[in-house]
Amino acid sequence: MDFTEEQIERYSRQIVLKEVGGRGQKKLLDSKITVIGCGGLGSPITYYLTAAGIGSIKLVDFDRVDLSNLQRQILHYTSDINKMKTQSACEKLTQLNPDPEIQIINEVLSSHNVKEILQDSDFVLDGSDNLPTKLLINDACINLGIPFTIAGVLRFNGQVLTVIPQKKTTCYRCVFGDISGNTASVSCSQAGVIGLIPGAIGCIQANEVIKYLLNIGDLIINRILMVDFLNYQFNFIKVIRNDDCPACGENPVDLINNYDYKIDDACHG
Amino acid sequence: MMLVMVEKMNITKLDIRGKVCPMTFVYTKLYLEKMNKGEILEVMLDFPVAVENIPASCKQQKIGNVIDIKEVNLDKKTWIITIKKI
Repeated sequence: MDFTEEQIERYSRQIVLKEVGGRGQKKLLDSKITVIGCGGLGSPITYYLTAAGIGSIKLVDFDRVDLSNLQRQILHYTSDINKMKTQSACEKLTQLNPDPEIQIINEVLSSHNVKEILQDSDFVLDGSDNLPTKLLINDACINLGIPFTIAGVLRFNGQVLTVIPQKKTTCYRCVFGDISGNTASVSCSQAGVIGLIPGAIGCIQANEVIKYLLNIGDLIINRILMVDFLNYQFNFIKVIRNDDCPACGENPVDLINNYDYKIDDACHG
Repeated sequence: MMLVMVEKMNITKLDIRGKVCPMTFVYTKLYLEKMNKGEILEVMLDFPVAVENIPASCKQQKIGNVIDIKEVNLDKKTWIITIKKI
């Protein structure tokens, strides 16, 4: 547990907390996370977790920075337009804190690469903008036994659900089931969002990781946090695990190899 | 008698003169975390507020019992706080 003088100063405001201390900080520095998406959710997630001193952060995104992203994706600047989002993110994060090892993966997350990308993570964060990818992350993490948090944002609303496979908590598929083919699902490019909504929701996701790694507080498990920033309503909705869920139920199915996630439609449509 | 000698041998000294709150407590805490229960830490500091803050924070976080606070006459007003790791 030997920190450099710089680390003691850098992390002092969290080491000082009863819930963290030197041991907690060491735990954060020894942890590996994967963040899917370097956009509206991924920006605050990676920014705060880099600042907190998570030891290893894997960034996954296939997209380039677009002018329309800058209203909410605070990792990217006007001068980054057309740059790979992972590259743009990595440049900011390494300047913020040189401690974490940042790995970038410029690929669309699909059933072909998902297990390989996620397998060595202590925790996975979904910062994607589409349901098929969220279901893919859900199914792969349950299969690999990796805890994860999934969020969604739209207009003035946000929602968060954390899943701990080891504790058999209610999964994303238990709640949302097979709705990836539902045309009623919209992404941010089809419906607007106020920029700070993914900012606030991403912060809650980052908080979930810190709490999970330090084993403190209550996670958003077996309940969904629903936030309405227009009327300032923060509600928890209890969600019950489905014993017949093909991902986490009593008789799980090999979804990764058999389920058609329609990722290409969602990511390039 | 033997016990006292062992305790004396296990005194860890921490000089954080020049540090201010909350860094004074951050360093004290990091040292206490590395020590074994019952071992003694002597913290030398010159930030007046810390003389009250460190004992209070050690108590709040249940990491050490302050057994002595003494003022020493150096160039600048300086204190030595003796803490037993719990």
